[in-house]
Amino acid sequence: MKARYLDLFLSVAAAILLGLGASAVVMLFLGKDPIAAYGLLASSVIRDKYTFADIFVKAAPLILTALAFAVPYKASLFNIGAQGQFYIGALVASAASLALGNKVSGAVGLVVVFLAAVAAGGLWGSFVGFAKAKFKANEFLVSMMSTYVALAFMNYLLRTALMETKHEYPQTDSFAQGLWLPLVVGGTRLHLGFVLAVLIALAVWLVIYRTGFGYRVRVVGLNPDAARLAGIDSRATYVATFFIAGALAAAAGFTETNGVQHMLVQGFNPGLGAEGIGIAILANANPIGIVFASILFGALKVGGVIMGQMSGIPASIVEIMEGTVMIFVILSYFARAKLEGSREKRELRRRMAQ
Amino acid sequence: MGEAFVEMKEITKLFAKVVANDRVSLAVGRGEVLALLGENGAGKSTVMKVLYGLYRSDSGKILVEGEEVRIESPRDAMALGIAMIQQHFSLVGPHSVVENVILGNARGVIDARECEEKVRALAVRYGFDLDLRAPVRELPVGVQQKVEILKALYQDARLLIMDEPTAVLTPQESENLMAFIRSYARAGNSVVFITHKLKEVMEVADRIVVMRGGAVHGEKRRSETDEAELASLMIGRELPPLRPPAPAPEGAPVALCLEGVTSVDRGGVERLRSVSLEIREGEILGIAGVSGNGQDELCEAVCGSRPISAGRIAMEGRDLAGVGIRGRIELGLGYVPADRHRDGLVMDMSLAENMILKSSFGAAWRRGPFLDRRRIAVEARKAIEDYSIKAPGPEALAKGLSGGNQQKLVVAREVEACGKVIIFNQPTRGLDLGAIDYVHSTILREKGKGKAVLLVSTELSEIFALSDRIAVMYKGAIMGIHPRDELSMERIGLLMAGVAAVGASGGGPAAGAGRAGA
Repeated sequence: MKARYLDLFLSVAAAILLGLGASAVVMLFLGKDPIAAYGLLASSVIRDKYTFADIFVKAAPLILTALAFAVPYKASLFNIGAQGQFYIGALVASAASLALGNKVSGAVGLVVVFLAAVAAGGLWGSFVGFAKAKFKANEFLVSMMSTYVALAFMNYLLRTALMETKHEYPQTDSFAQGLWLPLVVGGTRLHLGFVLAVLIALAVWLVIYRTGFGYRVRVVGLNPDAARLAGIDSRATYVATFFIAGALAAAAGFTETNGVQHMLVQGFNPGLGAEGIGIAILANANPIGIVFASILFGALKVGGVIMGQMSGIPASIVEIMEGTVMIFVILSYFARAKLEGSREKRELRRRMAQ
Repeated sequence: MGEAFVEMKEITKLFAKVVANDRVSLAVGRGEVLALLGENGAGKSTVMKVLYGLYRSDSGKILVEGEEVRIESPRDAMALGIAMIQQHFSLVGPHSVVENVILGNARGVIDARECEEKVRALAVRYGFDLDLRAPVRELPVGVQQKVEILKALYQDARLLIMDEPTAVLTPQESENLMAFIRSYARAGNSVVFITHKLKEVMEVADRIVVMRGGAVHGEKRRSETDEAELASLMIGRELPPLRPPAPAPEGAPVALCLEGVTSVDRGGVERLRSVSLEIREGEILGIAGVSGNGQDELCEAVCGSRPISAGRIAMEGRDLAGVGIRGRIELGLGYVPADRHRDGLVMDMSLAENMILKSSFGAAWRRGPFLDRRRIAVEARKAIEDYSIKAPGPEALAKGLSGGNQQKLVVAREVEACGKVIIFNQPTRGLDLGAIDYVHSTILREKGKGKAVLLVSTELSEIFALSDRIAVMYKGAIMGIHPRDELSMERIGLLMAGVAAVGASGGGPAAGAGRAGA
């Protein structure tokens, strides 16, 4: 058992190093010194309080969209639509915030905005589960295409009802200050959203691994035939997990609009859904692992941007880094299975020899 | 033995957690039928898969006609004249017999007529009567097996390995297969016949190699041994005598009742044809039949996972129409499905989690909003003890248990949760004798407690050992329900092959036979 945890730690560390190494090769092609660049990356993220806190600002929505992939994944379903669910959440959070204006603010106002966003995202998401339950539609495709519908909704509303008062840009007015998520560390951008995301991750873990509902979700995911014969309605599971997924991604929309932007800007954070999928796979869909993987990716994002600004390396190198790290971490699963297999064989031989 | 065609020396094969073969040595001569006898999990199939190139051994060597060879794939094996017929056939369903037979060496442009002629010549030579142009999926299992054999013959196989070939056959089809094996061997070819059935061994083998726990545990010429000796070699102890079950109580209330149950699948095929039966409390009704004649469908209809198009199912007098799977579980219907891997267990979950598979809805396992993991673990530990499941603990994953212990886990869960009616579908398939014995005594114990048992099995000995009454199914219909004492092996064999009319004149109360065609 101990050896397995050691394997896990070493293989993930090795995978991250290999991923960074592969990106270093790309930098060499650009004629840049990767060692200097990584030095810069490492030093920049711990340079000052503001930058360091930004890691967690970036991690918060990643935790939520990764969870939005992970929950249906536990039922062997693929939610590729977190991006659209995120936009729906952001859209409803913004509309609610603007409607409340200065009339209701503080904790009550934020709770109302949060619940509205989460309910809307949940309903949006559950449609995917419903289509699968009712018409046996492919949830992968339906959820993926639903993102484009959500995007079109957002574009439409930002040009009409929600457009700022000057009618120049496709974005909303700034929300009333009373509806901004409060900061948890002064002098940084770190808002309550990160705390919320971590709490939600813990709650998701509890639901999946400690309740009867989560148990049934996992049964459906691991063996749908046995689930059916046990009287578990997998169709209800489809709808429920996609409702939760939509709600989680919508919560990310809430933390981004009310915590960071304080308004809604057309097509912001376009990669959040895809990155969430990567992080969820990286963490093997474990909610606690997702928190750590999101922080790692938050650090890469923050450091990468600064690295780009200071060394002339294009910031898109960060995406290459994210990609290579992800590929190596996924390969490490297979390496671990192999290690474990050969260890058991050695053990067996030893016992046979006796 | 004469000249050895194939020799295997000191073959050792390790899987991650088990020694599948431990220094296995054996040889097959020309013109010889070698039976590889052993229980499930004894390593018979594994050592033959090494010979056929499906597995690579960790040590040991293989000699063909005295020369050491490397066999790394079935292609290598085939080139040496070695062919293997797996337990599960590898045929392309929609393709014709000819297309399937030539699959292994179809290169470039195929001359359909020439191929067909060659296949026909082979079929005639071995007396196989089959329609060469029929799509394979439309053929009965016994004929599909002939296609597999033709495939091997077409490749000029000189050694035919057959893995449990009679498992899917009627007694009559088995007879034909035995005749083929004898004539094939007489022509100078060799056969390795993998089985755990003693009767077949005595019928067809020249020499017998007995395996147990991955190693060779004895080698006998057929003329020098008998079934009793082979059985004790196979299991390491004498066969336990079968206990006759206590007679069913007269006039006990009917626990499960089916009336004219018919089920039509999506393709319009009648899977169940007007099935009627009754099981009383404390009674075991055995359903015999060749697999695939509606037994699985019958179990599914009762447990609620298959819709019925006509008829009525009632449990303790209560009509089950409109009651779903979950509702029937809650009414106390237990079901041990035939395929425990697919239907009975969640392999990647722990033993404790598998124990609550059917009862996770109820309040029994809850504490506040959460599952009461301590209580579940206590319950699982109790099941491990009561059912002598060999497992490290309640947290062990189901997939880490042996087949027998997995089955005990399913049986434990279903028996503990079930109220009055319990279905056992092939409860001992793939188990070793110890586990079989355990499952059998559990079934009898539950009968003693007054539960009604529907027992489906393709093992006639199991049916005869446990049942109070026996029904035979053929093509979705019940060919008749008889008290156990009024049925002979011959008669049941005929019923299984669907020849009710001929046999019926021989007498015997044909309680439900009249309904078969209704």
